[in-house]
Amino acid sequence: MRRLTSGGVPGFVIRRLLLGIIVLLMVSLVVFAATQALPGDPALAILGRSATPQSLAALRKTLHLDRPVIEQYLTWISGLLHGNLGISLAAQEPVTKLLAPKLVNSAVLVAVSAVVSIPLSVAIGSWAAFRREKVFDTLSSNLLLLLAALPEFVVAITLVLLFATTVFPHLLPSISTIAPGSRPWDHLNYLVLPTLTLVIAVAPYVARIMRASMVEVLESDYIEMARLKGLPERTVLIRHALPNALGPVFQVIALNLAYLAGGIVVVEYVFNYGGIGSALQESVLSHDLPVVQALAMLIATLYVVLNLLADVATIVVTPRLRTKL
Amino acid sequence: MADISRRQLIGGAAGLVAVGGVAAACGGSSGGTSPSAGTSGGAVGTPKRGGNFRLGVTGGGSKDIMDGQNIITKPDQARLVSAFETLLLFDDNYQLTTNGLAESVTAENPKLYTIRLKKGIEFQNGKTLTADDVLYSFQRIGTKANGLTGFAATATMDIAAMKKIDKYTVSLPLKSADATVPQTLASYTFCMVPVGYKAFPAPQIGTGAYKLKSFTPGAQSVHERNPNYWRGGGEPYFDTVTIIDFSDPTAQVNALIGGQIDAMTDLPPSQVQVVKSRGMNALVSETGGWLPLCMAIDMPPFDNVKVRQAMRLITDRKTIIEQVLSGYGSLGNDLYGRFDPGYDSQLPQRNQDISEAKSLLKSAGMSNLKVDLHTTPGASGMVELASVFATQAQAAGVHITVHNDPNYYSPNYLKLAFSVDFWGTRAYLNQVQQGSLPNSPYNETHWPPKSGLGSNFISLYNQALATVDPNKRIAIEHEMQRLEYDIGGYIIPFFNDLVDGYSNKVQGLKPSKGTLNLDSFGHGFRTIWFS
Repeated sequence: MRRLTSGGVPGFVIRRLLLGIIVLLMVSLVVFAATQALPGDPALAILGRSATPQSLAALRKTLHLDRPVIEQYLTWISGLLHGNLGISLAAQEPVTKLLAPKLVNSAVLVAVSAVVSIPLSVAIGSWAAFRREKVFDTLSSNLLLLLAALPEFVVAITLVLLFATTVFPHLLPSISTIAPGSRPWDHLNYLVLPTLTLVIAVAPYVARIMRASMVEVLESDYIEMARLKGLPERTVLIRHALPNALGPVFQVIALNLAYLAGGIVVVEYVFNYGGIGSALQESVLSHDLPVVQALAMLIATLYVVLNLLADVATIVVTPRLRTKL
Repeated sequence: MADISRRQLIGGAAGLVAVGGVAAACGGSSGGTSPSAGTSGGAVGTPKRGGNFRLGVTGGGSKDIMDGQNIITKPDQARLVSAFETLLLFDDNYQLTTNGLAESVTAENPKLYTIRLKKGIEFQNGKTLTADDVLYSFQRIGTKANGLTGFAATATMDIAAMKKIDKYTVSLPLKSADATVPQTLASYTFCMVPVGYKAFPAPQIGTGAYKLKSFTPGAQSVHERNPNYWRGGGEPYFDTVTIIDFSDPTAQVNALIGGQIDAMTDLPPSQVQVVKSRGMNALVSETGGWLPLCMAIDMPPFDNVKVRQAMRLITDRKTIIEQVLSGYGSLGNDLYGRFDPGYDSQLPQRNQDISEAKSLLKSAGMSNLKVDLHTTPGASGMVELASVFATQAQAAGVHITVHNDPNYYSPNYLKLAFSVDFWGTRAYLNQVQQGSLPNSPYNETHWPPKSGLGSNFISLYNQALATVDPNKRIAIEHEMQRLEYDIGGYIIPFFNDLVDGYSNKVQGLKPSKGTLNLDSFGHGFRTIWFS
């Protein structure tokens, strides 16, 4: 047992990776059961009223539904491990080929949103804590609460009304359709409103946690000590307070990023942005099992990886935790 | 969504008309060669060349296709008409014209048609359209394994016995008399393709106004102007046409107002004023589309004709149009095929009559009737229609439980006593073939009765199909409609309008009675232009 809990940071990462793999295996069982193995005939659900005995038999063969459940699962999971996600039923082409450009689109959107929202919210949260109960703190706290309470589609539609259609017509594009063959960064103005929506969806949570964490740190003895030593306030804040306040925030950032990956459905819908969110919605509607399964696994993997990164980051900035390993 | 597509698949197959056009088509009247005769945009202003026309369409997805004789989703319809054309053509009043690829389609006798092509029509690659292409096109549709939309409508055609008479003439023998053949030939799933044609990703070469440049299913397709388009007269006008998939009408409306698209399909009625207030236009087209409440005439409680009659009298059609369609529809009279010359508009308009309904139910011994009504979000309005009707039925003491079932189109479909469904514009006899005969693919009401009054419906139908004289045929059709009006199983509260949106830059769009959106997509994008 001792060996399993030792090894410093690398040992911790390895342990967490193994745990992550077990979690993903369990997720794969749930995804498989929910889509394929539960009572009811997926082939019938897919074909609907156009089902004929021949087409049902053919589809069951394609989906391996004519095999025992265990074998179906093993076929699917081994395909998954070999990077073979199957053939999309709707598009009749490999799932990987279908999803690759959409994955790039979504990844760019999430990355840009993260790059904008994380420093922004850390800065807002820190400054609010530093200026506790002053004007900036009161204003930002209330505004963030208000924004956090707004559902994303309200934010998105309000932004479109403001900057694209009504208040300032044609200032920014009202939709962000990425034409096939082009990349999201080819038209940077297409990214503004979707990014802004996601930033507004995520930043309030991160900023509020940052503020709470910073308030706590600023009241601690070692900050008082640093101040008493006569260190400049800037140094106290950035060098001593910030690293210690960031620990709990990493967890929230990771959760929010993972949420972004799955939760951009609404944003992609409103802006007609072709990413994995809209692919998920469409594949569910059209009973495209291989695509649904692939996306569920993809999003689950992202959750596991981001949580792992957050834990590692927390440990790296928290010496107390590091020495316990 | 999937289910709509599948229905469109088959609906389009027989999206044809029965009577009416036969005379015009059989007459083989000339004059069809003049550019855009009868179907031109006809709006103010002289058409101007140039521009990229961007159309936003909902209903598409990764199962989008491009095929000159097949559609799965709505954007597929727009793609199809941009590049491919039919032998005959419906005008904006849903009447047949010889404005298509054929100079004439003539019935030599009830079981033999002759198709004469216009001379000198070229495909987009410069090849001339000839009888061989017509033969290939029919064979492709008539091969069941190809799974094309039009296959169902080839049942009466003896395609194997079709013959090339000369370079531009083809004979089409029938297995059984079918006066609806000319309407079939004007249906958009009966477009002519060149010999050896295959669906996308093979090259898409048609006779139409725009040639496919690029296509990504679920995203968009780009179509280039065909400079050698056979109609001449400057058509078509745009340099390019871009068809963009949308998953949501809100994004579509925003894109239209924001200037990122020039036209959109299926503008939600609630958005009509919004769009108009921003200087855009709504194109409201009366169609022959309808949503029925379907009572299975051989299942309790509807096997009692009095119950069916009572349910029809419970229906407050005006309120349904207001509440389900936001007013965008016209009164139905429990009959379909409204644009057919054989449609019997003389039958009295049925209105709500609760006391009569109550007394009918009482005399049927069903005063406290409880019944389940099945529906699904298969087409817009289906769920709302069920709830509104359930509310109206309370006034007559009928308790209706609405079941909104996402798996509605399961093996139980067509075996339900009471359900909601949807249909598009069709001529009367074509609709009968699709939904009101024992061998119809979608007979929800199990019409006609097996014995007694109405059991002669099938023989009337066959009689009508074999009758070439329009007046005689209309008389038979009236007899059939009288039966359905008196004792049928459909409640047809309305015919819905198609509402589309377009920017004020776009000229040439007119309301059309056809099945396709936006004036049949600006007649294949050739009769519209930018001001």
